[in-house]
Amino acid sequence: MTLYLVKRLAVLLASIAVAGVVVFAFMALLPGDPAEIALGVNATPDAVAQLRRQFGTDRPAVVQFFDWFGGLVQGDFGTSYVTSSPVGPQISDRLGVTAVLVLGGMVVALVIAVPLGTFAAVHHRNPLGAVISAVSQAGIAVPAFLAGILLVFVFAVQAQALPSGGYVPFAESPGEWLRSLLLPWLSLGLVQGAVLTRYVRSAVLDVMREDYLRTARAKGRGSTGALWRHGLPNAAIPVVTVLGLQLATLLVGAVVVERVFVIPGLGDLLLNGVAGRDLLLVQGVVMVLVAAVLLINFVVDVTYHLLDPRLR
Amino acid sequence: MLKVEDLTVRADAVELVREVSFEIAPGERVGLIGESGSGKSLTALSLMGLLPEGVTAAGRATLDGRDLVGVPEGRLKRLRGRDLSMVFQEPMTALNPLMRIGAQVAEVMTLHGRGRQEARARALDLLERVRLPEPAHIARAYPHQLSGGQRQRVMLAIALANEPELLICDEPTTALDVTVQKQMLDLIAEVAPALLFITHDLAVVASVCERVLVMYGGRVVESGPIREVFTRPRHRYTEGLLAASKLTPRGTRLPTIKGSVPAAGHFPGGCVFRNRCPHATPECETAPALTGDGHAHACWHPAD
Repeated sequence: MTLYLVKRLAVLLASIAVAGVVVFAFMALLPGDPAEIALGVNATPDAVAQLRRQFGTDRPAVVQFFDWFGGLVQGDFGTSYVTSSPVGPQISDRLGVTAVLVLGGMVVALVIAVPLGTFAAVHHRNPLGAVISAVSQAGIAVPAFLAGILLVFVFAVQAQALPSGGYVPFAESPGEWLRSLLLPWLSLGLVQGAVLTRYVRSAVLDVMREDYLRTARAKGRGSTGALWRHGLPNAAIPVVTVLGLQLATLLVGAVVVERVFVIPGLGDLLLNGVAGRDLLLVQGVVMVLVAAVLLINFVVDVTYHLLDPRLR
Repeated sequence: MLKVEDLTVRADAVELVREVSFEIAPGERVGLIGESGSGKSLTALSLMGLLPEGVTAAGRATLDGRDLVGVPEGRLKRLRGRDLSMVFQEPMTALNPLMRIGAQVAEVMTLHGRGRQEARARALDLLERVRLPEPAHIARAYPHQLSGGQRQRVMLAIALANEPELLICDEPTTALDVTVQKQMLDLIAEVAPALLFITHDLAVVASVCERVLVMYGGRVVESGPIREVFTRPRHRYTEGLLAASKLTPRGTRLPTIKGSVPAAGHFPGGCVFRNRCPHATPECETAPALTGDGHAHACWHPAD
């Protein structure tokens, strides 16, 4: 297990380094010189050259890369060419908000999918199970932002029970913080929950046919007890894979949902960066998102090994 | 002790097992033989209350006066694993891959009221009793680290854990290597309290059991002491089965039973064997009853 962990950690670090190269290369390939953009169309070549020297963009790309990536390792994301403020603190401020949004959405998805999927599997022969399948099918077809708009319409506009947008930091008022996040969590979680319900259903259906469930019943467990003790842990293995993939989709979904609900998260920051042509900011945010996805995959792989002794 | 009367198993309208009756006395080892599709596994599963979805049992079966058929799951599960237990055919998939062996053996004891500590300790004794080497080591292992034969011994340890009155074995050695089959059979014969042993293998039944029930088309067609049934079969199906299993001199044709086993629900009315029987007459369109004390048969034209 320790050896595996060390190996897997090395792979994670190597992937992050490769990702860094790719992200940097894409940004470098984009047309547009930060110095020219900063000074406008009427700038003299001398002024542009001077600003380039100041930004450091006159150096060879390789040097720039190591300068940037070396900074990342120490937590320094560089200083924005546009706003002249350091990128790192902006990202770390927003990262927490997005993380809370995504994890909350995942919790909503799990709370929906595990009981419903299991129920649909156990009752796969009667109409109620079929209804759950059909509803989850419909849920999959709804994009997160549409779910968000519908939720706003029902809970904010019609019922006036929750705010339609905005974000209140936890430190300011925990109650308002919760109220401001409820709808975003639901709009992310409902759709993912619908997708996950189907995976949970098929995973549970598969384990229900397993011989060891019959063995558990032959030992004197009821069918519910057998499913609970022996079925669900086995069904968790395929579900964890899907969960990892979904977390990555949720991160992407969060970008859109942050727009709908006016939440100052990473997605909002990214879109602002793109609109303001703030290259270094975009580069930093994309790098953090990529690293987050790689980290999620790492956690999923390690979870696998914890769940399944056959892999150890 | 075990008393089965008119046990009938149905899937929708199709009768898979019809009016099977037999008894097993304490300490007695009874074999149930027949080809695949003869209904022998279903008979066993209905005694355990473990029939697959959509398959139902009717009739009466009692273990020391306690009903086994038509009883709610809640009452039945208290008997399963405690008063009667079962070893299945396929050892490779019968154990939970995510749980340690020791925990899986202990589970059957804690389920029926034994303390956790005691169950753990007794699990080691049981693993030793089924002759697994280094029980402490095996108890910490996961199923995939054991061979098929070892896993079947673990299943036997689980089945014996609560000292049941009756052990049911459904083809327990069919999936094992020939070299370990014999050891497994000897072990079962040694440790079983009373035994219902299901197999299609005549030699296996002869080595383990004292009495045998021959099933064909969901019915018991012949029953009696092993020695009598095997040396003087009365039913024409048993006769054919025994002839087919004998070694024949080099160069002669292997004796077979003509035709093949019909699909479930397509057996003829009357005697279920009559469409394959060389001795069938119009009389066989009426179902023969299982008659005779000790050595009984259900045939209008028995061999003598």
